[in-house]
Amino acid sequence: MKLGLYLHFPYCVAKCPYCDFNSYQLKEDNQISSYIPALYQEITAYSKKLKKSNVKAIYLGGGTPTILSGAQICNILEFCKDKFTIDKNAEITIEANPGTLDGEKIKLLIESGINRLSLGAQSFNNLFLKKLGRIHDTQEIIDSYYLAREAGFNNINIDIMFALPEQTTEDLQATLKKAVSLKPDHLSLYNLTLKPGTEYYKEDKRGKLKLPTEDEEFDMYNWAINYLEENGFEHYEIANFARPHKRSEHNLIYWQNKPYLGIGAGAFSFIRGYRYMNYENPARYIKEIMGGKLPIDNGEKLSLRKRMIETIILGLRTNDGISCKEFAKRFKVDIYNTFYKQIKKLVNTGLLQKDDCKIKLTRRGIFLADTVFREFVD
Amino acid sequence: MLKDYHCNIENIRNFSIIAHIDHGKSTIADRLLEFTGTISEREKREQILDDMDLEREKGITIKSKAVRLYYHSKDGKEYILNLIDTPGHVDFSYEVSRSLAACEGALLIVDASQGVQAQTIANINLAIKSNLKIIPIINKIDLISANPDRVAKELQNISEIKGEEIILASAKEGIGTSDILEAIVNKIPQPKGSSSFPLRALIFDSVYNPYKGTIVYVKVVDGIIKPGMFIQTMSNNIKYEVMEIGIFRPKMQPIKELNAGEVGYIIAGFKNIKDTHVGDTIIDASNPSRVGLPGYKKVTPLVFCSIYPIDNKEYENLKDALDKLKLNDSSLFSEAETSEALGFGFRCGFLGLLHMEIIQERLEREYDLGLIATTPSVMYQVTKKDGEAIKISNPVSFPPKNEITKIEEPYVKVNIITPSKCIGGIMDLVKERRGSFKNMEYIDEKILRLDYELPLNEIILDFNDKLKSISSGYASLDYELIGYQPSELAKVDILVNHQLVDALSFVVHKDKAYTRARKIVEKLKEVIPRQMYEVPLQATIEGTIIARETIKALKKDVTAKCYGGDITRKRKLLEKQKAGKKRMKKFGKVEIPQEAFLGILKID
Repeated sequence: MKLGLYLHFPYCVAKCPYCDFNSYQLKEDNQISSYIPALYQEITAYSKKLKKSNVKAIYLGGGTPTILSGAQICNILEFCKDKFTIDKNAEITIEANPGTLDGEKIKLLIESGINRLSLGAQSFNNLFLKKLGRIHDTQEIIDSYYLAREAGFNNINIDIMFALPEQTTEDLQATLKKAVSLKPDHLSLYNLTLKPGTEYYKEDKRGKLKLPTEDEEFDMYNWAINYLEENGFEHYEIANFARPHKRSEHNLIYWQNKPYLGIGAGAFSFIRGYRYMNYENPARYIKEIMGGKLPIDNGEKLSLRKRMIETIILGLRTNDGISCKEFAKRFKVDIYNTFYKQIKKLVNTGLLQKDDCKIKLTRRGIFLADTVFREFVD
Repeated sequence: MLKDYHCNIENIRNFSIIAHIDHGKSTIADRLLEFTGTISEREKREQILDDMDLEREKGITIKSKAVRLYYHSKDGKEYILNLIDTPGHVDFSYEVSRSLAACEGALLIVDASQGVQAQTIANINLAIKSNLKIIPIINKIDLISANPDRVAKELQNISEIKGEEIILASAKEGIGTSDILEAIVNKIPQPKGSSSFPLRALIFDSVYNPYKGTIVYVKVVDGIIKPGMFIQTMSNNIKYEVMEIGIFRPKMQPIKELNAGEVGYIIAGFKNIKDTHVGDTIIDASNPSRVGLPGYKKVTPLVFCSIYPIDNKEYENLKDALDKLKLNDSSLFSEAETSEALGFGFRCGFLGLLHMEIIQERLEREYDLGLIATTPSVMYQVTKKDGEAIKISNPVSFPPKNEITKIEEPYVKVNIITPSKCIGGIMDLVKERRGSFKNMEYIDEKILRLDYELPLNEIILDFNDKLKSISSGYASLDYELIGYQPSELAKVDILVNHQLVDALSFVVHKDKAYTRARKIVEKLKEVIPRQMYEVPLQATIEGTIIARETIKALKKDVTAKCYGGDITRKRKLLEKQKAGKKRMKKFGKVEIPQEAFLGILKID
């Protein structure tokens, strides 16, 4: 079995007001030093079960993984290599927030085998960065970027958010132009989504956020797609753009609905049709795994139908769409038969395009992807 | 403790408790029940459970509709106290007044920190109208924010209440209970009437019980009623044999006879709840009294709307639910109808807007129905060119203009009681609603009573809300039908995607047609979500477009990111959204959410 490996680091310097990820402001250093042994413990627990699996890609996400010291990160990866079989040319990504990087740390990251860096820039406008609660400014993004380049990273992603409160299309254009001028290999473009429990969500409920209208969001996204494609990026997934051969291997595993193992607090795994989640609370997570139990909070064995639906929803996010041959091979059914009604309706309304061997979203379908997905769910 | 002794009329006291919402009506009632041993602390808990079971099994609400308490007064005598609950929301002046008609006194509860509220004034007026002795009680004096002195002054300002009459109480702490009971005995007059006169008993409520049929709640004014005797009502010649009579302790407890002044229930094989009009007088069939008691006006629905199940499969459930509600609510009217837009449903008639809201809420909450209710309307009288006169309560059935010679609409006399400083705003409001001023008088230097005549149609939507906002909640209103007057009305149709949605049609005065149509299409544009295609919205009168808006096509509907663990959550969210869409009504290609129908009710 081929496998993606995800490692979660739930600590940040500060919690951003829009963020609903499983992340916490770091209060004391010993939070990290007690978290790392738990990761080791969980990796060990799985190493026996999954010895024969080949790890194709590793992703260190968070939170802020780079809140750890370079040495700590090196050691964790060494440990992974020791416990799992990892492909020689596996993609190994680390998420980093500008402001948590310095030359020394970047050097150590490269030495540890990390070959892809994902920079959480979010914006190239200091005003918006401040409002987003980010700890860095534009200059720090640029500095971190060049440090990484000079140290030898030849695969760098930049995360950008749009549809921010009070943001105009012109604001986004300026940010994207700056981002592109750095010549990153990959660009992730997310529109802000308000999630219950976040500060932004509460502010919005109080009517305090001036969010762009649907038409404005459309204009931003539409402009961004055109601009990035003109600048040599391939729009290979709804929110992701890559230069040739620089797609994110790890994330493709998700979109292809292939198996992955998640290690750490709140991490998700999808193995043998079983999708489950670890305890989110780091203390609880640590307690469970150190007590000798797998720290699984809840999970679900997905029915064949649900797996098919999730595979479609995920696959349609990508520019490759869904190969009917692969679908048939995997589920032993013809996608056109099983989802005849949905596909016909969506093709007729111009949201889906279909040829002999695959279905994928049309340009309009990309903008209305959730409408498309809603057709497929039960 | 089972007492069932005969008691002289001079030892009977009948009273209600009236209060603004949340001022502590039921807590006071509980204290009185406990103090008199009607229920013990321990029983109270069991009681509630019993009652819930009973309600479930028999479909009747027993909770303190009319409870008999036995009280040994400080004067050494034993008294029968009948606490007659004022059912429903106190806004329901119709229902409150029918309970008050069976009483000689009322406990007026006012919250010690909130003070006099709009409903307090309305309550006092109701009690005065019914000739009741008012016992003013300031409750919740234990609250830190309590200011009984201020509240006492307010009470004296708005009424004839004297300072020394006011009882200070805290039902929560059990303070004042004994004072209240003594005041009931000493201040409230005994019932008028005599057991030696021919039977006259006032029906003040009725409930339906699947085992026993209709149970009527009565106050015997004159004479005696016993099982085995034959009775009839003043308005109906059908004779019924009395099967059972009894009192509420608080459960139903059969007794041998009810004498003048007493309150209890009668079971007499009434087949239909409609046979026993609340407000009617029960008389002895063999010795009929010729003089009916002052009852209530016959209830006629004033406000109408159509109610449809969102899911057409729920039609039968809606029908059953309405039938059940009608068993205990003779003022509710319903009749099956069909709408091209909404399918099978019911045209319903209500006492007023609040009644309508309560019924809708009960259908949704108690019967778990998803409903679409159309804009409320009134009953119009239309005279056609062929001379035919028709009554129309549904805009859909309005004949074309060229067939009509005359349209009349119902007018009401509206009494508004308000702090005098709000008069300017109220004048503007009434003028805007086509009202005419009739009279004004000062209740005291700060409180005014205003009389107006308005078309009913103008007050059924949001008049009360507006009034409350103009007066910061202090003004209250009361209205009664005074008859029909000719009016220039127009029926406005709404077309969604060029298709007539009959359920959105409405009748409006022609001078207001344009503004209202404009607001409705604007509101619809707001509440109907964008669809895959552009959707035009049009308002028309007799085919002429008077307002138009366009809902733009859906442009963006995509969540940004989706990685590993998100997918199951994402799928579940999509499933939930899809289920939500199923609750929308589909008109051609357009999905209209329930809020669209509700939303247009809330237009300024």
